[in-house]
Amino acid sequence: MTKCGVSVLTTGDEDEVSSCYEEHEWGKNRVKGREKEREKKKRGNARKKGASRAGRGDEELEERAERGEKGRRRRKRDNHDGKGRERDEEEQAEEKSGRAQEERDTEEGDAKRKKKNESAKREEKKEDGGKRAVKEKANAVKTKKHKKKSSEEEDVEEEEEEEKEKELRPESLSPEELEKLKEAVDEKKKLIQTLRGKPWPMKKKLSTLRESQEFLEKYEGALGKGKGRRLYAYKVMMTKKWMKFQRDFENFKTACIPWEMKIKEIESHFGSSVASYFIFLRWMYGINMILFGLTFGLVMVPEALMGRPYGSMPRKTVPRADEASAMDFAVLWDFGGYAQYSVLFYGYYNNQRAIGWLKFRMPLSYFLVGVGTVAYSYMVVIRTMARNANESGGGDDNSFNFSWKMFTSWDYLIGNPETADNKFASITTSFKEAILEEQESRKDDNIHLTRFLRVLANFLVMCCLAGSGYLIYFVVRRSQKFALDGLDNHSWWERNEVNMVMSLLGMFCPMLFDVISTLENYHPRIALQWQLGRIFALFLGNLYTFIIALMDEINLKRKEEEIVKFNMTVWEASLYNGTVPENSTAPPVTIHPADVPRGPCWETMVGQEFVRLIISDTMTTYITLLIGDFLRAVLVRFLNYCWCWDLEAGFPSYSEFDVSGNVLGLIFNQGMIWMGAFYAPCLPALNVLRLHVSMYLQCWAVMCCNVPQERVFKASGSNNFYMAMLLVILFLSTLPAIYTIVTIPPSFDCGPFSGKSRMFDVIQETLESDFPAWFSKVFSYASNPGLVLPFLLLMVLAIYYLQSTSKSFKEANVELKKKLQMARKAMTQAAEQQSNNNASPQAQKGEARSFLWWSEIGSSGIHGKKKKKKETFRALCKDLNVLL
Amino acid sequence: MVSPAIALAFLPLVVTLIIRYRYYFVLFYRAFLVRVWQDCATGLSREERAFQYVLTNATPGDPDSILEAFDQWCSKVEFISNIGPKKGKILDRLLMEQSPMTVLELGAHCGYSAVRMARCLPLGARLYSVEMDQRNATIAEKVIRLAGFDDDTVELIVSPSDEVIPRLRSDYGLETVDFVFMDHWKKCYLPDLQLLEGSGLLGKGSMILADNVLFPGAPNFLRYVRKSGLYEWRIHQATLEYIRGIRDGMAELVYQGIK
Repeated sequence: MTKCGVSVLTTGDEDEVSSCYEEHEWGKNRVKGREKEREKKKRGNARKKGASRAGRGDEELEERAERGEKGRRRRKRDNHDGKGRERDEEEQAEEKSGRAQEERDTEEGDAKRKKKNESAKREEKKEDGGKRAVKEKANAVKTKKHKKKSSEEEDVEEEEEEEKEKELRPESLSPEELEKLKEAVDEKKKLIQTLRGKPWPMKKKLSTLRESQEFLEKYEGALGKGKGRRLYAYKVMMTKKWMKFQRDFENFKTACIPWEMKIKEIESHFGSSVASYFIFLRWMYGINMILFGLTFGLVMVPEALMGRPYGSMPRKTVPRADEASAMDFAVLWDFGGYAQYSVLFYGYYNNQRAIGWLKFRMPLSYFLVGVGTVAYSYMVVIRTMARNANESGGGDDNSFNFSWKMFTSWDYLIGNPETADNKFASITTSFKEAILEEQESRKDDNIHLTRFLRVLANFLVMCCLAGSGYLIYFVVRRSQKFALDGLDNHSWWERNEVNMVMSLLGMFCPMLFDVISTLENYHPRIALQWQLGRIFALFLGNLYTFIIALMDEINLKRKEEEIVKFNMTVWEASLYNGTVPENSTAPPVTIHPADVPRGPCWETMVGQEFVRLIISDTMTTYITLLIGDFLRAVLVRFLNYCWCWDLEAGFPSYSEFDVSGNVLGLIFNQGMIWMGAFYAPCLPALNVLRLHVSMYLQCWAVMCCNVPQERVFKASGSNNFYMAMLLVILFLSTLPAIYTIVTIPPSFDCGPFSGKSRMFDVIQETLESDFPAWFSKVFSYASNPGLVLPFLLLMVLAIYYLQSTSKSFKEANVELKKKLQMARKAMTQAAEQQSNNNASPQAQKGEARSFLWWSEIGSSGIHGKKKKKKETFRALCKDLNVLL
Repeated sequence: MVSPAIALAFLPLVVTLIIRYRYYFVLFYRAFLVRVWQDCATGLSREERAFQYVLTNATPGDPDSILEAFDQWCSKVEFISNIGPKKGKILDRLLMEQSPMTVLELGAHCGYSAVRMARCLPLGARLYSVEMDQRNATIAEKVIRLAGFDDDTVELIVSPSDEVIPRLRSDYGLETVDFVFMDHWKKCYLPDLQLLEGSGLLGKGSMILADNVLFPGAPNFLRYVRKSGLYEWRIHQATLEYIRGIRDGMAELVYQGIK
């Protein structure tokens, strides 16, 4: 207390007395606070020196800065709004920044300070201080502030001892005081809620927030009476715990999303367009997991567990001729030998209606799983598309071009300086481009050249597509010739020619397209879409050439099958002819299943082709990744020490991540899975494996060997574009699968549908034998055209109705938007008028506008057309309406 | 035996590479193949051939016509990595703005940039041009004299730059250098810059202009400049001299001194 008095004397300020006095009553220091104060002690000491000097130096002779500081401190004490004692750091910062404020301070507090500094008027001040003390007693906020103030200038050691005895005891408070406290608490709560809207600098906001929270923490529990108080405190504590738990749980949930952290890291380095690829990859992985679960759980496992074992039937046995090489690695790698005669392929499955003790309907399950995977995929893709469409429906990008750019162009997820630099550069260039576009939107003298170049580029791309299509066609025809010759006569290169050529073309043609697309001079987002479209066309062409070739091969196999069938009957007849005459009662001859002649089983062949394609595709992807990215990065990195030019910045450089190519690779891979999954149940499993590996490999490769794109752009809009492509591919890939299922009769001696004329006969069979008679009757009624056609008609009508309503909603939306704009315009006009009347409140706005106007004029001054200037000004005003 | 179809599948790659790096192929052809061929055919060095052309086509005593003749030869006949007309304009502008009294040029080559700089200098300014190669230096000397600049304006020093810089103060009586133009070996940019710093020749506001920092490129130099904090720096984007499609830049550093 004595020290407190001393400090008061040195500063010559009476307020301090009152606050020190209050400390006895209100003392509420906690250990934390004391520690803080101890830290502040040093600073406090320094200030004390200044203050004492001020006392000595007296009146207005002090240095200006010190005066400012003092004045501010006093003003704070004088201020009764209680909105937060500014923290020391802030004070210092302010001192640095605000000369002007200091002046204001001195002006404001001039009279008071002088009064205070003059010893003659001490009495008056005492009165003043006393009054204030009373007031502050009522208001807890001030108490705290004052205590802090005084303690800054005190010797802390002693204070500590004193304050140990002074504990806050709410019971000791009178009801009015409690009421006041409650009010203060409410006020603080309100403050915290409305803090976001306050026109304060961020620093002040933060400090105020922290302070109010501290205050609330301290006093919230103290309110209420007796038992109620404890209960209240308990409640508050529990809410806090609960909130903390919720937050932790959220974190935990995020941690549980697979690869989330990896993707976030990549996003921070490469921007959202690269991250969108990885999110897409993860989404695809999820879908494939479900497809895999379906095929694995309902087809492969039941067959493996409950079906007849390997070697029990001809279709489940490796034929005698192949037995010697069935376990060779080369054969297994081509999915021949034992791999071919296993649950992995269609041909292994038996046409037994029910298997095992569960009476599992194997053929039915096989068929339904095949249909179900496709149906599920359709459902998921369409649902995701709809959801994305909803999300992206909000904005209209065309009006307020500059505002959109201004406020939305930064990618807040970037956390890497290099990417941030790139992003910064790209934003600046986009601004420049946009301004230029605004200025020269009408006069585009080189439009013919641009058009010509675009047409030329498309022509070149078409040539390229035709060339690649012809090459694949040529290769496929050649491979058929090889197949007729017998594959063993040809080298490995010739046998795998089709896959190799397809993979290579799929790899190199996009690069060529990329080079060609530089001719066109599009915005990168549009360029990306063109690029995607072209690669899409290329891949599609390749895939369909492949499928057509496969169809040819299926027809060949079916012809072969006819011959085999005929031979079989001959062979059987000969078998029986040979045995029957001997002894009619003898047991029927047992022939080892490996020796039985068998048909070519085109379904297994198709499945094998697809599996091989997937494998070779995966291999090429990985090898490209390793050579094209990793090896290149290593070479560039380490050869740069001894090379005659800068490898990193110049010629080979590091590779960029190719979003479009990777996305399309993924999509087409999925298309192949959908196409082939019916004939090779192992495909989803393979794909899951592939996606899993490529997730890790690509994440690693991106982070280790790629550099961020030079023009980073957001990809939020392109997600639905990917989805649309996926949907198209889904449709296009189910088309041939459904065609083969519906039109081609299954092989006679392999697969779950052998012996039936069509694969879908299994449904009819189930209906007839597994369901009661009335059900099949109902089904037959329901499926007759008289019912189906009206139903289809109804559906079409419903779709039409929904579409038209959605269209009208959209129109209404546009109308509303227009109205909103009108309202805004009216408002701003009113505001402008007001600003003309009284300039000061609107001064800032006007200033901003005029500044922008002048800057705009400055930029357009080169082109110097008054009309244009006016237009840009108008556009600018429109933008500003949104801003302000 | 690899089948022809697979080989054909590599065609797009080849085409892509050719299109994408066409300028580099052109550069390789002009700067290397033509040079080797001409060296064998004429028995003269490239610089001597250039000098012959200039001698026959330019007006003596007129720096502009000499520069034009050089540009003509370098873009039409053969390739010499002079600073070129486009980047030369930037150099001219900087010199006009700066009007330095002492200029140091590292790497005179055949005197093109020396002539270019000397004609932009204010009266009484002096250009010290350093060239390592004796043969190039004689040609540079001839070119400079042809342009009409005497010993007082341009002094040619035939010695490696790392030997000259420490001796500049003692042997040539230089106090500070106002402007340094670097166009010699890209590997020497960084050590020479550090030598200049160490010898105390750089005063506050001294400007250093380094050519070809993006291609062939001096990454270490740029990295050092970025990190050292001694300079205000910017890069003038341009293209490589006499070849359009290759991006290049000149780094402009202004020495700020140790704060």
